[in-house]
Amino acid sequence: MSPLVVIGNPDNRRVSLFRAAARAAGLTDPTVVAWRDVAAGAPVAIEAGSLVRVDSPGEDAEVDRLLRGADEPAAHGEIVGLAAWYRGFLGALRRVELAARGSRLCNDPSEIAVLFDKRACHALLRSQGIPVPPALDTPRSYAHLVSLMDDAGWSRVFVKPVHGSSASGVLALRRHRGRVLATTSVEPSQGRLFNSLRVRDYSSPETIESIVDKLAPDGLHVERWFPKADLDGMVMDLRVVVIAGRPSHVVVRTSRGPITNLHLGGARGSLQEVLERAGRRRYRAAMETCERVGVCFPGCLQVGVDLMFSSDWSRHAVAEVNAFGDLLPGLLVDGRDTYAAQLAALMPAVVA
Amino acid sequence: MTINKHITTFAGLPVKKVRATMDPPDDPGGYAWRLTTNYDGGPSRFKKRFEALVNADWVGQVTAIVVGDWGDANDDGPPLKRLIGAADRFTGLRALFLGEMTGEESEVSWINQSDVAPLLAAYPRLEVLRVRGGEGLEISPVKHESLRELAFETGGLPVEVVRGIEESDLPGLQHLELWLGTDNYGGDVTVDDLSVVLSGARWPLLSYLGLRDSEIADQVADSLAGAPVVARLSTLDLSLGMMSDVGAAALLAGQPLTHLRRLDLHHHFLSPEMMDRMRAELEAAGVELDLSKAQGSETDPGDRFISVSE
Repeated sequence: MSPLVVIGNPDNRRVSLFRAAARAAGLTDPTVVAWRDVAAGAPVAIEAGSLVRVDSPGEDAEVDRLLRGADEPAAHGEIVGLAAWYRGFLGALRRVELAARGSRLCNDPSEIAVLFDKRACHALLRSQGIPVPPALDTPRSYAHLVSLMDDAGWSRVFVKPVHGSSASGVLALRRHRGRVLATTSVEPSQGRLFNSLRVRDYSSPETIESIVDKLAPDGLHVERWFPKADLDGMVMDLRVVVIAGRPSHVVVRTSRGPITNLHLGGARGSLQEVLERAGRRRYRAAMETCERVGVCFPGCLQVGVDLMFSSDWSRHAVAEVNAFGDLLPGLLVDGRDTYAAQLAALMPAVVA
Repeated sequence: MTINKHITTFAGLPVKKVRATMDPPDDPGGYAWRLTTNYDGGPSRFKKRFEALVNADWVGQVTAIVVGDWGDANDDGPPLKRLIGAADRFTGLRALFLGEMTGEESEVSWINQSDVAPLLAAYPRLEVLRVRGGEGLEISPVKHESLRELAFETGGLPVEVVRGIEESDLPGLQHLELWLGTDNYGGDVTVDDLSVVLSGARWPLLSYLGLRDSEIADQVADSLAGAPVVARLSTLDLSLGMMSDVGAAALLAGQPLTHLRRLDLHHHFLSPEMMDRMRAELEAAGVELDLSKAQGSETDPGDRFISVSE
């Protein structure tokens, strides 16, 4: 039986949930390799023949500091150094990959690297014919963004930090005849940017310009706003966790505004209602798209696909693919949460 | 805040989408036909579907149309020329919704509208006109005998629209619905600007008055307490706005409201005590009272908000 190893933040609930699932499956407790050690450059020891799960380095200020190579930890919620973070993360992934040479990785570090680069991910999906909203070139500044939007004739876009996650730094932006409106969880304060748990609207061009200009140097990916379907008067999209190539766990995320992330006040909606509104054929087509997204990441046991239906339900598109999109506590399919389902998919390998 | 839901019925009919190629329906008059484009289609798909409807041999039986997204609602006004040009084809048209879009498609304050008077002139038998979006919205004074229901859903209603309605000759009007919105989005109507509306003198048949989605809901309520129009109404709709206990108390202290069939205040900032008082005085008298979507009892206007703005 192969020992299980998880690379994660030991106190994080992602790790606890995975360990609980392993215990429940009667497996030996996974060894936890702390991101803090990996990020600090400590030697990574992984017993040969292990099954290695790489989980999120997020929600830990010290890991974040180490990955950015910064002297000081970021203030709580501060959006800072995303490009530096990504470079540090690539290095850390590389060390994990080397340490795991004699083992099997449940998620391929080079695929994780693509998943944390929204530009690369978008290009990959598009090249595979997967429906994604069209994107603009990378804007260097707000002024550049404005000219790119004008050239494309788009008045409504989503602006996303290339290396961001969980809606961090995302702006839903509309411009028209000198008016501009941005919906975002970003909150500028004393010359810095913070993630707030409250999504708010900004209509001052100066404020929006300063936010975009602060985010732009670390890379921005801009997509045309894909008008999402509604469910009971709420804006809706789906988080579909694709496990071992199959859409497995699905959560309906609903929100009053265009940003649907659950930690930003979104609520879980009814899947039955989505099935009814979309119809079985369209829902199946959407799930097939998620499967095809899974095919783009053959080295990942799971990916979390954010899938949007259009406002008339006639089509769908992929908004995001998340490397660590399986944190859906309490959501059971056939009695299994996302962690148990992954272990079940691994079982032949674990007991081999 | 924004509108997130598509309507499923209009003018009492289920909404059905027009497709560029579709079999003739059994009952063309039994649906409100939805004309809209989508993300990829742009204005050209709208045009294709519009022409498919205009050229259908059952076009004369169409009674209701819902115009959704016409391509780039942020940049171009509604397809009025197209609608006006087809007036000799839509001979049975009685109800029209212009701009039925969700916030995901275009927020209400970002939908470009224009002067709707030429449209009314082209359709003298139209009975229901509902328009969403206040940007560029106008109504030049117009005479129209058939119009029963006129509704402007905006995040900010320009005062010129109120003037245009007052100066128009609409003897058949039974339902007048104005979403006043916020001054952030061009809503500059004051209670003084509503004095003709509140007199009720222009529309002898008026039975529904909606002054909705209003930042000045308390002042509106205060004016209604002594407004002549109230006596002839069966429905008073002050929903979606910023009404607080101040407005509700003014309503209760003013002229009797017990003749109303329905008083709609949903989305409000009334305290539980005030809600109890309203129920005791009005429900007991048989008024159907909608106090749903209570938003808390904030007294500071800065903490209150209207339901639909951007």
